[in-house]
Amino acid sequence: MGVRVRIASGGVSDVGRVRTNNEDCYKIVERLNLFVLSDGMGGEVHGEIASAMAVETVVKHCLDAETNPAAQVIGAVQPYWSARTKHLATAVHLANRTIFKAAEKNPDHRGMGATLTAAWIDGAKLSIAHVGDSRAYLLRSGSLLQLTRDHSLVAEQVRRGILTAAEAEESTMQSVLLRALGAQAAIEVDAEEHTLFPRDVLLLCSDGLTRMVTEPEIAGTLQAETDPTRAAEKLVALANERGGPDNITALTVRLEKDSKGWFSWLRRGTHKNLGSNGSAGGN
Amino acid sequence: MPKLSLMFENKIMKEVPVGSRPITIGRSPDNDLPVDNLAVSNHHAKVYFEAGRMVIEDLDSLNGTFVNDLRVERATLHDGDNIHIGKHKIKVDTGGDAPVPWDSGRKTAAPRIDETMVLDTKERRQMLQQAAAMGESMQFASARMKVPTLVVLGGQTDQKEYVLTNKLTVIGKSAMATVRLKGWFKPQMAAQINQRDDGYYLGPGDKVPNINGTPISGPVRLNDGDLVEVSGVRLNFIFRE
Repeated sequence: MGVRVRIASGGVSDVGRVRTNNEDCYKIVERLNLFVLSDGMGGEVHGEIASAMAVETVVKHCLDAETNPAAQVIGAVQPYWSARTKHLATAVHLANRTIFKAAEKNPDHRGMGATLTAAWIDGAKLSIAHVGDSRAYLLRSGSLLQLTRDHSLVAEQVRRGILTAAEAEESTMQSVLLRALGAQAAIEVDAEEHTLFPRDVLLLCSDGLTRMVTEPEIAGTLQAETDPTRAAEKLVALANERGGPDNITALTVRLEKDSKGWFSWLRRGTHKNLGSNGSAGGN
Repeated sequence: MPKLSLMFENKIMKEVPVGSRPITIGRSPDNDLPVDNLAVSNHHAKVYFEAGRMVIEDLDSLNGTFVNDLRVERATLHDGDNIHIGKHKIKVDTGGDAPVPWDSGRKTAAPRIDETMVLDTKERRQMLQQAAAMGESMQFASARMKVPTLVVLGGQTDQKEYVLTNKLTVIGKSAMATVRLKGWFKPQMAAQINQRDDGYYLGPGDKVPNINGTPISGPVRLNDGDLVEVSGVRLNFIFRE
């Protein structure tokens, strides 16, 4: 309402230091402010195929829905969701069907699957949809918050109080997912909406990042590096420094208040002490 | 059984029993007690028994090993000693009847799974049932419906009371804020309250809020009855039954 924001985004996907193929995949659709990330699984090239299929299907459906307000909505939806949130959740259901059917048709493709985390920004409204253990984080005034809940066995165990967070990091079961695209004909998709504020930073990432880099390090990097592509590069580099055992993908989105003069840039660079200045100018 | 407890903010993050084998401490995950912090060396220190005494030995770490705030190369440990490594504290327990932590036997029992996999529904149900059985006693006792609420005790806001229904709550002058501050010179986003898996956390915005009279230095978990003050507004955080 009255607050104009400028959105800058950038992403990096890296094979890591151990694997020979990259099963991660992401896409930024600037025109829609749509951000999609997927981490594939399955032997040989099937993980790559699955994640590419997932991202493509989601992007295609969202593009279609933009021009066709009557686009179909599938899966469970909340009545209060915006049309975009409904379309985004639908897109994830469609991606699941696409991968499941592909795997069914071709016995070689059995076990093929993918995670999916997508964010769609419309003004101040953020729609998030996800399945699997790729995460969405929000950095707001220095506080980093995980918006998604991992659909993994260890995350579920932590939520139920069986494992501590520290034990979960040690667990040999970290790769066991409870939900992924392509595993079943129909799945549950988590979707939610949030209100965004100027200076918020959104991060979508695969588990190749979050298993090697701690949340304080992620928060620090996102605060220190204001260029979205460079921030993603730094995060990926950090995971690689620690051995890069898995593919690593990071996609960052920054919301900047539409600046009205050169010194609003100066303000933005300042920290805590001068923080209140940033809000003195009206919108 | 003697043990070491890795503490963070007065909470036990991990416990390891100290037996006949030396316990290694460090950042690398192959340590018996891994401490994930950049200030900790890959193989930072080890703890072992020698002639019936528990001994700590620094493994030429970059930032040093401290016992009760004294830097040590090698030292005998006593019950209740505090080891400081990086920003972490490790409590020393040289005796007592501490139960062997639940995960001690797991490492060898479970095969290493490197490839991501999805549990099929049957396996998944079994594992979750097992998980639920173990977690039940701790988890579900406190699972009664409680509604987090902010009651305005003082200052100008657009409502007298706010039920926190969203994961993200902003206190500020912004039209998009949940708790809208009125009046001159109020910041757009004064502070924030975010729901995490284990509760509601108060964090700074453009201002640093106080909890019960003390300014916070980072996100702090709110307890029933806490008093939050920011930008001239006083709020009481409570859980309504």
